[in-house]
Amino acid sequence: MRKPLVALATAVLLLGASACADNGSTPSSSGSGAAGGGNLTIVRAQDSVSMDNTMVFSNASIWVFQQMFESLYEVTPDGKDVQPLLAEGYKLSDDKLTWTFTLKQGVKFSTGAPMTSEDVKFSLDKARATKGGWEFLDVAIKSVDAPNPSTVVIKTKYPWAPLLADLANFNNAVLPKDYGGKTSEEFYKAPVGTGPFVWDHWDKGTELQLKKNPTYWDAGKPSIDSVTWKVVPDDNSRNVQIQGGQAQINENPPFSSIEQLKGQPNVKVDLFPSTKTDYVMMNQNEKPFDDVHVRRAISYAIDREALVKTLLFGNGTPANSFLMPNVPFYDPATPGISYDMAKAKEELAQSSVPNGFTTTFLASSGDSTDQALAQVLQSSLKQLGIDMKIQNVDPSAAHDLQQSQKYQISHSYWTMDIADPDELVTFAVDPSAGSHSFYTSYDNPQVIADTKKAEQTFDTAGRQVLYSAIQKQAADDAFMGFLYYSPFSYAYSTKVSGFQVYPTGNYHLEDVTLGQ
Amino acid sequence: MRHLAFLGRRLVGTVPVLLGISVIVFFMIHLVPGDPARTLLGNRATDEAVAALHARFGLDQPLWQQYLSFLGRLLHGDLGRSILYDTDVSELVGLRLPATLWLLVAATVLALLISIPLAVLAATHRGRAADQVVRAVPLLGLGMPTFWVGIMLVLLLALKVHAFPVSGFGKTPVQHLSSIVLPGLTIALAMTPILIRSLRTSMIGVLDSDYVVTARAKGLSHRRVILAHTLRNASVSSITVLGVNIAYLVGSTLVVERVFALPGLGTMMLDAIFNRDFPVVQGVTLVFALMVVAVNLLTDLAHAALDPRIELA
Repeated sequence: MRKPLVALATAVLLLGASACADNGSTPSSSGSGAAGGGNLTIVRAQDSVSMDNTMVFSNASIWVFQQMFESLYEVTPDGKDVQPLLAEGYKLSDDKLTWTFTLKQGVKFSTGAPMTSEDVKFSLDKARATKGGWEFLDVAIKSVDAPNPSTVVIKTKYPWAPLLADLANFNNAVLPKDYGGKTSEEFYKAPVGTGPFVWDHWDKGTELQLKKNPTYWDAGKPSIDSVTWKVVPDDNSRNVQIQGGQAQINENPPFSSIEQLKGQPNVKVDLFPSTKTDYVMMNQNEKPFDDVHVRRAISYAIDREALVKTLLFGNGTPANSFLMPNVPFYDPATPGISYDMAKAKEELAQSSVPNGFTTTFLASSGDSTDQALAQVLQSSLKQLGIDMKIQNVDPSAAHDLQQSQKYQISHSYWTMDIADPDELVTFAVDPSAGSHSFYTSYDNPQVIADTKKAEQTFDTAGRQVLYSAIQKQAADDAFMGFLYYSPFSYAYSTKVSGFQVYPTGNYHLEDVTLGQ
Repeated sequence: MRHLAFLGRRLVGTVPVLLGISVIVFFMIHLVPGDPARTLLGNRATDEAVAALHARFGLDQPLWQQYLSFLGRLLHGDLGRSILYDTDVSELVGLRLPATLWLLVAATVLALLISIPLAVLAATHRGRAADQVVRAVPLLGLGMPTFWVGIMLVLLLALKVHAFPVSGFGKTPVQHLSSIVLPGLTIALAMTPILIRSLRTSMIGVLDSDYVVTARAKGLSHRRVILAHTLRNASVSSITVLGVNIAYLVGSTLVVERVFALPGLGTMMLDAIFNRDFPVVQGVTLVFALMVVAVNLLTDLAHAALDPRIELA
């Protein structure tokens, strides 16, 4: 009995020692010490859910399919403008209703088929026809035509300033006409685009791999041979995988671990400027949140500096506007509400509930931000005579309750997808835009009118005036308590170079190289 | 023959158990608020899109009807389709089961490798220093949370000593084996205190028995007395302890798989719960239930194999 056990123990230890030299994710480089090639492993908390670029809202999906699909335009690295990608340029008619785009020559799909205006027309028409997807970005488009293989003509129903920014969004990416002869279901199981990477495999819940597109139109890119996104739900495990060399990039390590990570050899940490804003949402369908004085009182009672310190470990700044500094037409002069207990008491005294009231904060269990925020807010509001209870439900249920507006006060955040404020502003302040003003039922006719006007205003100065007015009014109405702007945190191996995250959250892996 | 008949009876006996579990799981997961369609479709989902997804997965039907169709499919061996991944649950289970099985086997083997020598040492040195240490030190393991033990093992054996990968499962059997040692050890360390205590106690009982005294009087070597006579007889009662522990530790895989990023059923179950992916939760729960049943069955068979006097009924 003893011998087999000893033999097994020895075998286990020996195999352990030998196998760790090859744990699957070190760059399998062909060069002799030169940068280039190799597999890049990115670890992340959640898996993608689908590759359907017209319907999916999960960032974990978007950041993957953006490596395969490309649009006519793309966001610039500073997140504030767009630049041509599959288009050479455009001409806009005098009545601002007809946009004529010329396509870049020599662009091919990874199947080898050339990209033509027919593919663009098919893709845009498909994107516009979805229901419950990203079609809201394309509502102004009246028609898309393909008069010749290198020209696309887009007509809009009314003058529409954000068109280029909308076209740069991933839902308007160019796919092969008729999905290359497949059904949409078949196509999205092994998608084809014009981008730097092509489909390899997806073990759902475990890992998804793309490989280099050897015939990519931008010659010389990408440098790496393949990229694998691995699902590692535990924050700590992701960090140690970078330290142990099993992965090269960790998507969004928690701020609490940043200092510790910075102290590790061979690990870099970057905080990329983002468009992420956190806020306290107040449901105006629930009394007394229909009262502007109550909302202002709560907004004044939030100690934003303390939140930045405790939740972000100092890695952020208090928010003054519901727009973020990296969004075009953000107004740094917006007189946002900041922490002021005296003013909070004044506002509450003027409200329908001068002596305070009882309310419930809807928090996601297991979400450290929600828990800390709820506790900080609870103690602040106590000074106003507001008794705030905390209701912990799990994240899926919290999401559901927020969306169906079955809450009183809660926390959420957003990031931008396009380089134009229109998407976010419409979503946030226009109750008819599908989300009831981001589930708050905020409804100010002047703000809505300004939003619609800004969509049809083409000159920059004119748009700035409108967006400044919207930001000021929204802050004054305290329709939400804006909390803070926080960066996107990324930890990665010092072997990685050329990795950059845009303020919209996406990244371009064709620019990444892996050293030895 | 005797074993086969026993096996048949026990397998038939699992049917009502699994049925009961399916009822409890099905209705409990539906009692918790949260809608898979909203989770999947995102912030801008229209009511129509949500309704369409509900219809597609039968979530718009009354709960009892949903349960009956779930049961109907189950009878045909169909665990349903994941709402999140739009893939058959049985296919997902097939992808994830190996890592969990590796983990359970590794944990059991490592627990035995640690417990048996230590229990023998303690029992043969009863009351002396070695016995005191063996009885006291593993108890510390009971007080430490599993995830913490896992993290400490990673810091020490993976990051400092570089003896094992920090986490993950690799692609080849050799990589699986090296990846499974630390998670297996994490679970094993939680099992050993009870195993050592139980085996030590029963060994002491056996060591005091007449036949051991006789064996020694006949001049058998100490090693032979311990291995052939004492350990075999003492292990009968410890097998039950081991079986109960393994069954209990099926639940620990949820934590350990997460800490070590093992693509097993435990991590899949947690994801499915968070996303309200009802068919996956139901399917994986049934698989876990089957595993517990199988462990209990194996425990009984091991009992019978070790002690011919035990009747399988």
